[in-house]
Amino acid sequence: MTQRPPGSLSDRDFMRYSRQLLLPEVSESGQQRLFAAHIVIIGLGGLGQLAAQYLAAAGVGRLTLIDGDRIELSNLPRQLLYCEADLGLFKAEVAANKLQAAHGGLALRHHCLAFDADNAGHLLAPLLAEPHALVLDCTDNFLTRQRVNQACIERRLSLVSASVAHFQGQLFCLDGRSLAASGCYHCLFPADTRLSQSCSTSGVLGPAVGVMASMQALQALNLLLDINDGGYLHRFDAKSLHWQHAKLTRDPDCPVCSPLWS
Amino acid sequence: MISIQLNGEPLAVPEHASLAAVLHERRLDPNAFALVLNAELVPRNRWQHIRCRAGDKLELFSAVAGG
Repeated sequence: MTQRPPGSLSDRDFMRYSRQLLLPEVSESGQQRLFAAHIVIIGLGGLGQLAAQYLAAAGVGRLTLIDGDRIELSNLPRQLLYCEADLGLFKAEVAANKLQAAHGGLALRHHCLAFDADNAGHLLAPLLAEPHALVLDCTDNFLTRQRVNQACIERRLSLVSASVAHFQGQLFCLDGRSLAASGCYHCLFPADTRLSQSCSTSGVLGPAVGVMASMQALQALNLLLDINDGGYLHRFDAKSLHWQHAKLTRDPDCPVCSPLWS
Repeated sequence: MISIQLNGEPLAVPEHASLAAVLHERRLDPNAFALVLNAELVPRNRWQHIRCRAGDKLELFSAVAGG
């Protein structure tokens, strides 16, 4: 695990990141902040593998990749980081190797296991001391999404969550600056919510996953750069290509986040 | 009766109907949906307590958990 040395940007950094450095919202100080950021990506399927590539390419300094699944043939139409030679290998390991090859200054860790309530503390502990820390929920099931939400709320960690199935995508961001108004994932979808769709049962088109992963990576960068701090649910209809936006609202009786306010 | 919109379609509901009653009337399982009222999410346990007003825009949608 190598780490980019702290300090000012090198000439090569100025060339490499020139297009984003041109943005006043990024500039040298924002790029330094991205270098100092640590993002944990939970799930390296369709969402995670693309979000990870964008964040690594933007110069995020440290990524931790978590996924217990192996690469399957049915993943290849939408998980473009992986190829036929990778079939049967662990997604987190392959993703880490490929990202490291593409971005020498990136510090990477990977864990080939499924995130759960028992390992959450261990997996997220490295974020607790970091000033620019973030979790991306790129998982593929409702129960894990509830666990990720709970783990982030308990540790006051910012969370950017995206999901996609059939022709629908959903994206939101939970951050300490907006959490008192927005509430958490459990406020939006309580644990007894009945689900109708998953990618494995109802199908999905690759680019629809890519749209949501790109938006997730963009929201992550916006959050790290203080461009916006979330609090909205963004829903994408992959048939009409329409987006709808709604303000998240905290449930004062939420068993997950209400302890924060008591 | 008053006129509201449900997922972009006009709908007539009894005056003072609660959000929960709108779902019940349409035989929709409340546990299968989240609800947006005039561009703000309404937590599910508030649906019984909020009454529709003429012109309200309701959106019902399901959780998507795939990735």
